[in-house]
Amino acid sequence: MGAALLFKARLCLNVLSHKSGIINQGKICARTMCTKGNKPGERKSSPRKTDKTIRQTESFKVRQMPSFPTSVFAAGNAKRTTELLKRKTTLPSLEQEDAAWDQPRRRGFKTDGLVAPERPLSPTEWKKLKEAPCSPERFDVHMMTLLFKTGAELDIAKSLLTFVALDTGTMSYQLLLQYLTLCVKGGHNAEALDCYQIMRGAFPALETGASSLFIKAFSRTQSWREALPILREMKKVISPSPRNYSDIISGALLHGDSATAWQLYDEVMEEGMSPLPDTWRALFEGGARGGEGEEGNFSRAEYGERLLGVLGYMRDNQVYPQQSLADAIKTWFQSLPGHHWRGEWTTVTPKGVCKCCGSELESIQLTPEEYQHLKDRVMADIIQGKDVFHKTTPEELESFKAFVQGKPLFDVVVDGLNVANIVKGRQSEMLLAVVCELEQQGLTALVLGRKHMLRPSVAWDRRNMGLIQKKAHCFFTENTSEDDPFLLYATLHSGNHCRFMSRDLMRDHKACLPDALTRRLFFKWQRGHQLVIHGTVTVGRRVHFQMISPYDTIVQSTGASWHIPYDDSIDRSSYEVPQSWLCLTNKH
Amino acid sequence: MMRLFSRRVYVELWRRSVSGTRTFPTGHVFSPRGFSSGCLLRTDATQPDHGDKIDLDLWKSVMRSQTAADESLGDDREQVKKGDSTDSQSGCVLVATRELVSMWRQAGKLVPDKITDQDVQTLAELSTKSSKKKYLKYLAIREGHKKKDKEKREKKRAEREQSLAECPETENNRPPLKNSFLMQYRDHWLDRLFGWRGAQAMRFGQPLVFDMSYEAHMSPQELANSVSQMLEVESCNRRAHDPFHLHFCNLQPDGGYRQQLVKRYGADAWDRLLITETPRRHVDVFPRERLVYLTADSPNILRTFDPSKVYVVGAMVDRSIQSGLSFANAKRLQLATARLPLDQFLRWEIGAKTLTLDQMIRILLAIKDTGSWEQALAFVPKRKHDGFYPGTQQRDGGSTAGRDRGDRDPRRDPRDRQGSAREPWGAGRGGQDRGVTSKGVGLAWEREYKLPLARIRPTQKSKTEESRRTDKTRTPWHQQD
Repeated sequence: MGAALLFKARLCLNVLSHKSGIINQGKICARTMCTKGNKPGERKSSPRKTDKTIRQTESFKVRQMPSFPTSVFAAGNAKRTTELLKRKTTLPSLEQEDAAWDQPRRRGFKTDGLVAPERPLSPTEWKKLKEAPCSPERFDVHMMTLLFKTGAELDIAKSLLTFVALDTGTMSYQLLLQYLTLCVKGGHNAEALDCYQIMRGAFPALETGASSLFIKAFSRTQSWREALPILREMKKVISPSPRNYSDIISGALLHGDSATAWQLYDEVMEEGMSPLPDTWRALFEGGARGGEGEEGNFSRAEYGERLLGVLGYMRDNQVYPQQSLADAIKTWFQSLPGHHWRGEWTTVTPKGVCKCCGSELESIQLTPEEYQHLKDRVMADIIQGKDVFHKTTPEELESFKAFVQGKPLFDVVVDGLNVANIVKGRQSEMLLAVVCELEQQGLTALVLGRKHMLRPSVAWDRRNMGLIQKKAHCFFTENTSEDDPFLLYATLHSGNHCRFMSRDLMRDHKACLPDALTRRLFFKWQRGHQLVIHGTVTVGRRVHFQMISPYDTIVQSTGASWHIPYDDSIDRSSYEVPQSWLCLTNKH
Repeated sequence: MMRLFSRRVYVELWRRSVSGTRTFPTGHVFSPRGFSSGCLLRTDATQPDHGDKIDLDLWKSVMRSQTAADESLGDDREQVKKGDSTDSQSGCVLVATRELVSMWRQAGKLVPDKITDQDVQTLAELSTKSSKKKYLKYLAIREGHKKKDKEKREKKRAEREQSLAECPETENNRPPLKNSFLMQYRDHWLDRLFGWRGAQAMRFGQPLVFDMSYEAHMSPQELANSVSQMLEVESCNRRAHDPFHLHFCNLQPDGGYRQQLVKRYGADAWDRLLITETPRRHVDVFPRERLVYLTADSPNILRTFDPSKVYVVGAMVDRSIQSGLSFANAKRLQLATARLPLDQFLRWEIGAKTLTLDQMIRILLAIKDTGSWEQALAFVPKRKHDGFYPGTQQRDGGSTAGRDRGDRDPRRDPRDRQGSAREPWGAGRGGQDRGVTSKGVGLAWEREYKLPLARIRPTQKSKTEESRRTDKTRTPWHQQD
């Protein structure tokens, strides 16, 4: 009974706070209310559970909410939030405008006066069309564009070409190129090959567009080997795109020449390009077919080794496969003879246990070497960078270093301005609420801010600021300095257990790091150490934090099992990680 | 030769077939029988027949026969090409690149008609396809501009010659004098006025520093852009009522910035320019407490324009915004910083708040002249913002600009009268002032800020402006003589 009363009171409060303007990031807020409304009991119990696990692993606790799917790093979160905010702010009139924008805009060729014919026309009819008053200057090219746009039949295009050939005695390269595009799009490969013979004969060379189209067309047919010299020719002037390679590789695999395919794949890697997902898919599908065709091909085992290498590449470069590629991977594993691989689409519990096979996933914590490397790089590249004056001054940096040295190791470093600005106008109250929460949990906190916060104002109440300085260690940077680099420094300096609290995704700081490896390390560390406030902050009530995922979202293997996170939707932003997994287990 | 021949054959055949269809009594032109004309052609084509339908593959045979005709020519050509390409590896790449360009042109891409060897070399060195395409597009647009200019010039010349031919010859071979009740105002008189004002600004005017130390942070393209903008800055300043004394600080004598400036102006004109250039830093030229660095990253807002300060503008063009660069420099030198009150006056929520250098000097000249941010910020491009906030006029009180005060009480400064008396109206005096070198007048800051001098009587002023408006193709004063 009492619980029900409490729950009602809480709901009322919630509504009140909502009305009075404490509105946090739309979706998150809505979600909180939703869980509160439906399962009030669960909310209380689940953070405690997670507390326990964290205590087990790390010997200190921060009360957190179950992370998924509301974590800032969960796939699709950013998109949902922006959509919600957009819906909130957009006026109906603007929506109409949007609708007008959505309509396809005409670009390039004007095909206003032209109407594409329904059937192949005779030269005489074409001539009539051409001499019509509304027809544009370069009738043939415009008409071919129109045919391409409307997805007309190939025969109509052919009749147009015939007309042009008879009318002028020759054809422009552009027209043939457009015709070729039409052929390749429609999958008329034989026609494209004919076109190849003609264009080779009529023109001294091919440009890159035509070469790419021919490569695509050839790769689909028996004579896919013809594409190789075209590729070599392209290489003279430009480096072919991963798409070109992908076309030939899939062509080669389709016709059972895995040796050439892998050779080309190696070439792509040597060039420093990242292969397309389609390439990988073709490779896995080729593996699943088990093409033991020609001489000099890889044996099944060797092929398998190489595919595992591909998975290793995905792991090293933090690549998350699309659904279709994940499908191919699953099929390949299941097709392996002599093993009994079983693949399942699954998710992972917040604690990092695979729901399918029950095994625990890799931890998100960095190894000591990785941690040290990251610490050095952050100091050198993010804080100092090319010019110390960019983000701070040397004197300030030194004084901050001395400050950190003189204090005990922190448990949480708070980005004061970021946390405070959740609610405009009462910044100091918000900050105080968060600091009180941390103090109650018995954590050593450092609050970073700028000096202007110490100037008393409505937003920065003198009493509140005094309390904050009593309850936590504080460092205020110059108003002209950035505070995020100090945040990163203090957190990394305090050791692996230290977290930082900010809603900032630190993307601009991540971009300062020079190499991809360090950026990945930074991202991994960030996911494991960033505390984000969950829901709204109300004075006098407990503050909740989104849970930090204890496991790493990356392709991983224990030998007897593989866990591959994959994209099941296209909503994922680059700084988010997928939530769905492919679990592969080898049962003997 | 063969190609011509074959083309003729086909055209001829085509005509005959068309005329053939027309003579048919059936009347409807596209009767199936009409297309049997293709059969005539197909006798020499290699394609198999498709029955009585329209021969869709006829174009192939046309193109193929063309190819066959070309082959005899092609053999010779290939041999020539081989001779070329065996020279070296790089030569081969250049030939291939040139070929690619020509094919892209045929494919209807934006590519220049003519391309020099040097451009091909640059093109071949570019690593990606998109960078190549961008470079070619740039070349094509430049070529278009050049072509247009040339056409314009030729048209003009033709018109001039025509008008000369039309009018009756006078004894001195000159066009007849125009009859006007207004005294003609000559361009070089205006130039002298500008020169005079410039010289006055160099002696008594408020300094404005352009910090030219950002060469290392700019790409060659950006450097070229910033040099163009600096030219515009100088010309704007020269034409102003009350010009600034421009200081180009940190201008290294052998740096790319100075080289380009000298190249664009011409060495003579550069030497005669009424500005101060120095390789020294601005903090060495002016006392630190008078300098205010104008940078978009500053936390301070420039609310009132102070004529006793020396404002510093970073002469940099950054196409991809390098935020905090000039601010970092100002911090390093411990200078005061300020940013324009854009947020206070303009509804400007979306888009980068960047301004070009010439917009900057227009704003600064206007705020100095009028003291009203409303008028000054009118030089911010309209497309970038959604207009001014209403009622901002009341906010910008207390302007300290010199012009108003000076106009109200011209007797306050004796040199003011002297200045206007010496103004070279039509008399051709003051020409010697043009020779004032930039080196002698560098220490203007030591004097107190003096009220700006150059005054124009209202009648004359309107007249000069009129002449300025009507004659847009006037050459700059420094290029005359």
